[in-house]
Amino acid sequence: MDEDMIFDPSLKKKKKKKTGFDMDAALAGEQGESTSVEAPAETGDVDLPEDDNLDLDNFGKKKKKKKKPFFNLEELENALPETPPAEEPEPQEDEVIDDLDLDIDFSKTKKKKKKKNVDEIVPDDDGRGEDQENVEDVHGDWIGSDRDYTYDELLERVFDIMREKNPSMVSGKKQKFVMRPPQVVRIGTKKTSFANFTEICKTLHRQPKHLLDFLLAELGTSGSVDGNSQLIIKGRFQQKQIENVLRRYIKEYVTCHTCRSPDTILQKDTRLFFLQCETCGSRCSVASIKSGFQAVTGKRAAIRAKTA
Amino acid sequence: MSIQNLNTFDPFADAIKSSEDDVQDGLVHVRIQQRNGRKTLTTVQGLSSEYDLKKIVRACKKEFACNGTVVEHPEYGEVLQLQGDQRENICQWLTKSGLVKPEQLKVHGF
Ligand SMILES: [Zn+2]
Repeated sequence: MDEDMIFDPSLKKKKKKKTGFDMDAALAGEQGESTSVEAPAETGDVDLPEDDNLDLDNFGKKKKKKKKPFFNLEELENALPETPPAEEPEPQEDEVIDDLDLDIDFSKTKKKKKKKNVDEIVPDDDGRGEDQENVEDVHGDWIGSDRDYTYDELLERVFDIMREKNPSMVSGKKQKFVMRPPQVVRIGTKKTSFANFTEICKTLHRQPKHLLDFLLAELGTSGSVDGNSQLIIKGRFQQKQIENVLRRYIKEYVTCHTCRSPDTILQKDTRLFFLQCETCGSRCSVASIKSGFQAVTGKRAAIRAKTA
Repeated sequence: MSIQNLNTFDPFADAIKSSEDDVQDGLVHVRIQQRNGRKTLTTVQGLSSEYDLKKIVRACKKEFACNGTVVEHPEYGEVLQLQGDQRENICQWLTKSGLVKPEQLKVHGF
């Protein structure tokens, strides 16, 4: 159903228009320009060029997603420490404007956003000032008394120190992790191309094989990387669906389970994979990739002929 | 012959073995597979063998108005197959009926 709807040309157009508006509304002028110029060129390059419709569609979708849920939020978050006006993203962001934030879930981002907005409204200094006061208060309490630290005090202290040492974390305690959206194009009726698969592997610093195994296991299908370093997957998948799977991959195999930093190394050790965090040093084992039970979906006669 | 003391000790040997032996890993895996065209198939792997899967599938078929079957797999035991994307339905149903705890459910797919 979804597919049909999205491939309906009229809908497509609407979507495109909408995204145009969003873009204008949400982003500063230069940014809008850069995306509109950049994105089509790139999709054109990497995607299969024969099918204009798909291209457009893909493009439109990408835009929409980018602009609506992620971008505003993420820009807000990022813009926070330096630039108070929420509407205008930082200039740095311009370069990566086409990128998609694959941070794990929307709900959290949204919640955080709210929190941050509050922070935003209240000038930054206030927040920090309070923190410092707290620290002093707490210190003050301890001076001249030999009582033990209460758990709450310790906790507060630790967070105060954290905030002090990492001003960037003040707002969200969340590491930003920006990457390009997957470029997903249908090939014929039965296959799907994930055009920038290799590129995404590089961004994530993961072996293509590892991501490949995960994708195929999750999607319950088969596929391989072709000569143009794009991933050809059997079955029909939409960008959104691939994105969901990618997001789950990132959550499990890229971002640190303790501090959520994406600066991690995945090591194989005695047949188990370990995620070693370069930021906080934590190391934990991650789920092994298993495709598990696979139902027979092909033509049984053909399978019988093969095995017999 | 090997000298035992010189053997390196692999602290994860058990873990690996058990995770391979015990395919169930305590989780119920709900997966989706594409079939020809837009058709899909939902599989539920890892339900305790103490349950009568035949009864479960019968109830599910009625509840979700879809066809379904139980497949015996040499490695994964009895697996539930339902036509269409029943992942939401089956998860809700399994938790509501108390057969599976929510944290035991692992949903795969897109
Ligand atoms: Zn970490």
